[in-house]
Amino acid sequence: MAVDSINLEISRGELFSLLGPNGAGKTTTINMLCCLLKPTSGTASIMGYDIMKEPFRVKELIGVSPQDTVLSELLNSRENLSLIGRVHRIGSKELKQRSEELLETVGLTERAKDRVGKFSGGMKRRLNLIMALVHSPEILFLDEPTLGLDPQSRRAIWDYIAELKGKITILLTTHYLEEADVLSDRVGIIDEGKIVALGTPDELKNNISETNTMIISAENLSTEAIDGLRTRDIYTEVDSSSGNLRVLGKDLNFREIMDYLHSQGIVVRSAALEQPTLEDVFLQITGKELRE
Amino acid sequence: MRFSELARRCLKETYRDRLSLGFLLGFPLVFMLLMGVAFAGDTAPEYDLGVLDQDQSQVSQAFVTEALATAFEITSYDDSSQALGDLKAGEISAYITIPQGFGAQVYQNWQGEKENIVLDITYDESDLIVKEQVISMIDAVTRSFARIEVPVTLNASPIHIESEITYIDFIAPGIIIFGLLILIPTSARMMVRDKEKGVLARLLTTPARPWEFISAYSICLFAVGIAQIIIFMVVAVLFGLDIVGSAGLVFLVFTLTALCCIGIGMIISSLTKSENQADPLSWLIAMPLAMLSGCWFSIEFMPSWLQSIANAFPFSHAIEASRSILSRGTGFEAVTSDFLFLVIWTVIVFAAGILLFRRKMPI
Repeated sequence: MAVDSINLEISRGELFSLLGPNGAGKTTTINMLCCLLKPTSGTASIMGYDIMKEPFRVKELIGVSPQDTVLSELLNSRENLSLIGRVHRIGSKELKQRSEELLETVGLTERAKDRVGKFSGGMKRRLNLIMALVHSPEILFLDEPTLGLDPQSRRAIWDYIAELKGKITILLTTHYLEEADVLSDRVGIIDEGKIVALGTPDELKNNISETNTMIISAENLSTEAIDGLRTRDIYTEVDSSSGNLRVLGKDLNFREIMDYLHSQGIVVRSAALEQPTLEDVFLQITGKELRE
Repeated sequence: MRFSELARRCLKETYRDRLSLGFLLGFPLVFMLLMGVAFAGDTAPEYDLGVLDQDQSQVSQAFVTEALATAFEITSYDDSSQALGDLKAGEISAYITIPQGFGAQVYQNWQGEKENIVLDITYDESDLIVKEQVISMIDAVTRSFARIEVPVTLNASPIHIESEITYIDFIAPGIIIFGLLILIPTSARMMVRDKEKGVLARLLTTPARPWEFISAYSICLFAVGIAQIIIFMVVAVLFGLDIVGSAGLVFLVFTLTALCCIGIGMIISSLTKSENQADPLSWLIAMPLAMLSGCWFSIEFMPSWLQSIANAFPFSHAIEASRSILSRGTGFEAVTSDFLFLVIWTVIVFAAGILLFRRKMPI
């Protein structure tokens, strides 16, 4: 079973990320919401339209950028865009303007008349994305929008998605933690067809981090000073190696530690309370690494 | 209109996919060119035919001099043992015996009464050329002479040969039907490719309705079929095909055949998941059908059980109907049953194709 009872509510204008490893059920969820798959039980509604009862109403509202790049290689970028636009019954004038706008945004204007078959992977990916936007959908499904892209193209797509944020509702799936972290209003962590954690990226991180870590880099670290820290119960772990100090504890107080080190006459070069990443969240909740 | 947009896309892709397009139009053309060059000419290759005229009527003599002589080099015999000797010696390819009463039988056909014409043909069984060509030519010449399928409404006619049946006249309808049979793999490929590459899934997230997809594919493939028919017919005419009957009627036969093939392709595309599955499967269906239906040689010499199988499919009927319209000038009445067969098949495969395609759609 790819997806096992997901209960989820996404607000209008929100950017929601489904984060999970391959095979977790992200694409299956999207396919059900796009009316490509019938759920064996249950349903969902999009802007008040039930996906089982009024699929065509739903389809008028959505734009989908599939995980696999789906384009017609024998058509050029404009023709690909206008196919989707016209099937959505967009008027010629509006379609033309919208296409130019989108091509410009993703930097494909100069290649607009070239057949897509000649494009690089990154260019195809960008076109794949804007094809979901040509009819100005109210809801956008982005299934792994940056899968297999080089960092530069990925950054460009992130920038563009960030621009859309707040204007339309976006459901994004990804297995890139950074992507979910940077872009999302809320993240749902999905594993084996179930939502195992849900919240804003910060909420998720804070929830798991009962223990904080502080990393300090200092000159003249003395054993006495370190032992002084070790005697205090609130620090569960104190490690030091070649001028670096790692302090773990519940509710670490940055100021307190810094004051203590100063009082010991230690010169601190840098100090930081380490933020847990979504990777830590994922690891803790599911007990597995994201990229298996 | 959404479906016209979808159809336009299919057409553009078909037109731009030069390799497939070349194959689609080129394969049958190559066949026709080869056959045309190999056997072209105003008349068929000259075969020596022995004639033993036991009827000795005016009609039978006319049959020999005005019908058979147009297609064969004639040697007349008075008794069969002499003819048999020459056949064994390889002097003649075959000999026919015109039995007594032949003239009367033909005359009755001219009067509009259907009467079987009996001719005895003796030939060497191992001689495949005779089997395939000489006998079909005799058959065609005789039918044409006796006007077996000419409707009753025509008045008694004088002895008149409508056209010389050349080899291209005989072979062209089969090759054209073969060309149309290639629409089976073509349509299966077009539809299954969209499914395999996710194009269909992507388009299914738009408000386009299932019927719009089906009509888009059908329109596109139908246009391809019409283009094929026109090209094949023009080339055949350039190679010396005589269109004796109604060109419109024969066009209709080919059009129905094309639709039937598109329907079969649609069924295959629904039953398969990828081009790799659909392609061999559709060729596995198209090629035996072509052979069985008599695209390349006459099916009259196949075992009768095989002929019954062949006749269960619409394509042998399509070849028979088009051949008879093209070279014998028969009207609609004479090919009604072939027509009906084609129409019924087309309706059935199309209905099945649409149902299967629709069933595979999620919503």
